[in-house]
Amino acid sequence: MSRLTDTLKKLRSIDYKKAAKDFWNGKPHGERQLGKLYEDKTGLYKHREWRGVQDTFYYFNRIWLYNYAHMVMDIMRFGDPISFAKGLVRYRWMGQTYLTVMHWFDRGLEGLRGPALRASAWHYRAMTCETIRQFQRMFAADTKTKKDGRQNRLWHTTIAHDETVSGSIFYPWRDVLDDVPLQMIPYFVTCHVNNHTVLNYIDAIQSIGLPSDPCPMCQAEAGLCVMDDYPDYSPIIITSNEACDGSVATSIIQDWYLNRPLFAMPQPMRFDDPLVQKHCQEEIKQAWHFIEEHMGIPFSWEQYVKYAERQNELTRFEREKWDVAANTPYYPINGVAQALYRIYYSQDGDREIWHETDRKVRAIMERCVRDKIETFPNTRHRAIAWSCAPLYYSNWCTWAYNCWGINCVINMDSLMFDKILRTDTYEHAVEDLATYNEWAPMRAMAVGGYEHIFRLWEFMEKFHCDMVIMYDQLQCKGMQGIHGMFEDEFRARNIHAIWIPHALPDKRTVSRAEIRTIINDYMTTVMHEEPLDASLLEFDDSMSW
Amino acid sequence: MKVLKVIGKIAAILSAVYAVLFAVFYFDLDGKFFYYVFEPMMVKHFDQMKHRDIMDTPYAQDVK
Repeated sequence: MSRLTDTLKKLRSIDYKKAAKDFWNGKPHGERQLGKLYEDKTGLYKHREWRGVQDTFYYFNRIWLYNYAHMVMDIMRFGDPISFAKGLVRYRWMGQTYLTVMHWFDRGLEGLRGPALRASAWHYRAMTCETIRQFQRMFAADTKTKKDGRQNRLWHTTIAHDETVSGSIFYPWRDVLDDVPLQMIPYFVTCHVNNHTVLNYIDAIQSIGLPSDPCPMCQAEAGLCVMDDYPDYSPIIITSNEACDGSVATSIIQDWYLNRPLFAMPQPMRFDDPLVQKHCQEEIKQAWHFIEEHMGIPFSWEQYVKYAERQNELTRFEREKWDVAANTPYYPINGVAQALYRIYYSQDGDREIWHETDRKVRAIMERCVRDKIETFPNTRHRAIAWSCAPLYYSNWCTWAYNCWGINCVINMDSLMFDKILRTDTYEHAVEDLATYNEWAPMRAMAVGGYEHIFRLWEFMEKFHCDMVIMYDQLQCKGMQGIHGMFEDEFRARNIHAIWIPHALPDKRTVSRAEIRTIINDYMTTVMHEEPLDASLLEFDDSMSW
Repeated sequence: MKVLKVIGKIAAILSAVYAVLFAVFYFDLDGKFFYYVFEPMMVKHFDQMKHRDIMDTPYAQDVK
């Protein structure tokens, strides 16, 4: 009887008008309690967020259903379901990782509404499409999943290259050959989508004697060799030293494992010297000769111009996006979508999907500017993220906005490849490509010398930021060397900077919960602020993807 | 009349499918399936898989 009375009392106390309003529009930011949606440890949702009728059904129809359907279509479009199925059961990075992709969307897009939800989701869609294109090409050409291990036509027309060798290097052959980075899908993207997988590869390389202190990215990429988990999809490989000379060792292990013609095109640590520039130009020319010699197809200037011009279109739109992000509150792309999409396409090179996505995002962004739609209305701080991000928690900025109102408007990786490739003469083309290649991921503004690294102050001003999220990759010897100088500069310039320690792909060194605690502590003890959503302060997602 | 009945049936089936899919979406049943069923199964499969031992491959540099 008393239970019934309690229930009746509860029902009477409900504000039905507000409940109806919340149902229709979604709860306002301060009342959402997003942290209560998580299951303990796994990060799965008890139920997905109710964002109001319009945005919930947008998410369901145009993101969840649309992406599941398009994933199937992409698998058919870029290959065939049989080679996909073979790849799924042959490669751990495929079978364990990529089917969980919609949760990657969920984590990155939590709490978003309206145009911000739409524009950010298109970025995720593009990355998913290009990921499928790459692994389908690898599987279709792969000798390991063929019964007789034969080298088919696709094997003979695919170039493998290190993920930090830009796709733009291969434009002269884009119409007749395809280029697929070796590690981007087996390593880099897995860390974001499902970071359980990469730990196997880190452990594998350490099991044959590598100490645990080198960069875990290089460890994981070498570990893929130890686990025999790279597809065999190309007759040649073009490698680099990636961002640091520590990973030269990775190239040696890859050379040992792949055992095929290899051209090494290392990116210099200090590249401002004109003689170094000349040297890089020569290396690109040598790489082109290497491709001609081994693939038997001559260099095509027309193809280079065509694709470089298309890449320039992407760069010009990126600059327009930055202009909106820097000078207005109407930018509809959240921190994680901005960071991942930009580094993905600028490294991967021109592909049709980037143009399709940019057209859609342009329409959304122009509407936001025209109608003055504040896309992140609860912004308390405009932050810039500097140095290399934790791959297992690239969506920290979604959490930071929902919990504290920290809006990460731009990041270092986005700003690094700001180069229009000239196509008027061969000499200009090689010169610009050399520069572009020198500004490889994690290079120019991370380990490329303090004058590049300290461009942070210039970009803080340009993007009107009042806070720095300073990534501290604990196993990056390059950035560790400049830590003290940053501390001095932050103090001297009176800048709010939050250091986020991490070990790139390896969540075991610094957990996501520890990262959140560091930000929480700074926001309460230094900024003396109250959280926008207190349910997000502490939760256990240690077993989450 | 018969045509209308068929259309009605198709609409009812499509609506039911849509409702089921919405339930899968809303209660994160896809995530729970991949987390509790699919991933452990694949991990077991990959843990049992035999791999080529790269230590068996001689390292030879082809320096010109």
